[in-house]
Amino acid sequence: MTRYFDTLGTIVQLELRQRIRSVAWLVLVSVVFVLVGIVTALLWFSITAFGGDVSDSAGVYSTIIFFVLLVGTLVTPAISGAAINGDRDAGTLATTQVTLASANQIVLGKFLAAWTVALTFLVASLPALLFTLIAGGVPGDTLAASLGVLVLELGVVAAIGVGLSGLITRPLFSVVTTYLVVAALSIGTLIAFTLGGLAFQSQQTQTIIGIDYSVGGEFDPNTGLPEEIVCLEPVTYTNTLPRFDLVWGILAANPYIVLADAAPTSFDANGFPQDLFGTIALGVRSAQSAPEFESVLDECAAAKEGDINLGYFSETPREIFDRTVPSWFVGFLIHLVLAAAALTGAIARTRTPAGALPTGSRVA
Amino acid sequence: MIEVEGVARSFGDVQAVRDASFTVNAGSVTALIGPNGSGKTTLMLMLATLLRPDAGTIRIAGHDPVADPRAVRTAMGWMPDVLGSWGTISVRRTLEITGRLYERTPVQARERAQQLIDLVGLVELAEQPTRVLSRGQKQRLSLARALVHEPSVLLLDEPASGLDPAARVELRTLVRRLASEGVAILVSSHVLAELDEMADSAVYLERGVTASDERIEASRAQSRDWRIRAVDPAALAAALKKLRIAASPPDHLGTAVSVAGEVEAAQLLAKLVGAGVAISAFGPAVGDFEHTFLDLSRTTTEGGPR
Repeated sequence: MTRYFDTLGTIVQLELRQRIRSVAWLVLVSVVFVLVGIVTALLWFSITAFGGDVSDSAGVYSTIIFFVLLVGTLVTPAISGAAINGDRDAGTLATTQVTLASANQIVLGKFLAAWTVALTFLVASLPALLFTLIAGGVPGDTLAASLGVLVLELGVVAAIGVGLSGLITRPLFSVVTTYLVVAALSIGTLIAFTLGGLAFQSQQTQTIIGIDYSVGGEFDPNTGLPEEIVCLEPVTYTNTLPRFDLVWGILAANPYIVLADAAPTSFDANGFPQDLFGTIALGVRSAQSAPEFESVLDECAAAKEGDINLGYFSETPREIFDRTVPSWFVGFLIHLVLAAAALTGAIARTRTPAGALPTGSRVA
Repeated sequence: MIEVEGVARSFGDVQAVRDASFTVNAGSVTALIGPNGSGKTTLMLMLATLLRPDAGTIRIAGHDPVADPRAVRTAMGWMPDVLGSWGTISVRRTLEITGRLYERTPVQARERAQQLIDLVGLVELAEQPTRVLSRGQKQRLSLARALVHEPSVLLLDEPASGLDPAARVELRTLVRRLASEGVAILVSSHVLAELDEMADSAVYLERGVTASDERIEASRAQSRDWRIRAVDPAALAAALKKLRIAASPPDHLGTAVSVAGEVEAAQLLAKLVGAGVAISAFGPAVGDFEHTFLDLSRTTTEGGPR
């Protein structure tokens, strides 16, 4: 077993030596560092200019984390997407395959190395994140959770990149395909969720019992209600509702939503989320529950109890949160399955002695 | 040792190797000879545990590359025809990492790397990244890499290409020394004269089929050209005419005559010397391997027996 990890470690070291010492890496890390710094500074000044407070710095923090995820998912495919087929083209894969390193050591080693390189970009943006933490008082558990998800998400992209580089013969195609997978997860899920929700529609009948304002005497100046409340006849409307509850799993696979949902949400006194993460998470959580097919809006009964608004607000966001399942868990599971499938496929394709080869490719 | 029996491999519709059978014994050097596209590299890849044969059996040091690639890899060193190296890593680190991938300890890997750097003559370039190496230097690195784990079977695919004459002599000496230490070596090359001096025997591969021993014997027994150079070409021409031997018009290398076997050649030389011709050079026009190779390809293209 130690021998297995020894060889795995040698492969990781070999990959890191080749990638981390390159000029391209140094340039990219510097660009990321500067870019994240600029975005942080701009966001910070734009908010303090409007006289923001603590909850606004939570907004800055979540925006920056999203920006870091964006940069990370844009850089990682370039690092990982040619790991295996690039070596094959350079003639260095076969000489590794004839050693005692097995196919899974080679593929996993390349994956771990690509992940490590991707994490160096995360490290480059850490100073900016720590600044918002210290200057803005972002809760420590929010920081820990969002960083944890970032680390794992970059690992998923690295795994998909390395996996595709083993499955696709030409480096250019595998890098582009990795970008397409990232785009499908980041943007495609939003489109699929919207279209899917609209494609499945259900009928909803809504019954409204209103107040007859034409009778009942004088209006109370405080509540705006008549002195004597007389109910109208119930009116029934039928309309169609999109069924987002049937397709919410698609949206859960979005890495930005995984990130938003995994970070602990803080609520204000009225039970509303305080930061961007919470607001987004609320949207996904709300999509989980099926709409009421038979809803009754009884303004009249609410008015008799003294507050007409009681008829509208059935739940606070906080109650929705507590009632629904965390979607990041589902989304992350989908990502893990994708990553594992890509790596398993690459290991099978890299195994030697090779049987059938795809046309146009060679072993060495 | 290497044992190959009835091996075949195709890529889609292309039959790269149809029927290859041969044996390379421990302590011997065997040349793998064939024209471009005859399946030499495909055969090498199958021996190197990288490609699965469609049919036939292979034994490398007693192990089957398909059933037990790990055992084969432990015993086998492979120098590919494609010269790939980790461009940003130094020569020394390349050899150390290769050693580590063969499950040597860091100390063993370091010592072996130093030995090999001395052996292949890359001392001055040891700390340089491999991308600065010339083709010939990469060739030496590739050979060193194949030797990292002290293999008992060595597969060399075009080892001499890109080497200068001095390096070729060193390569030949090294290969002979390894053979004398008991390593079974299979060498493929286009430079047949090179192989003549290096190899004990040869396997001829033509369109994926190895030539049988009988065919090679038959080809060896055929009459072949010998080159004769005399101090006075006119005297040589007159002597040959007297002996009624057909000779080619003389060029700067001398005159070529067709002679069947070494005995007849010796008799001819004795006669010429007896006739008072001052002979300065007398020998086969082409090497053994080249003669057989050319003869075999001639008969196959003429539709002769295969």
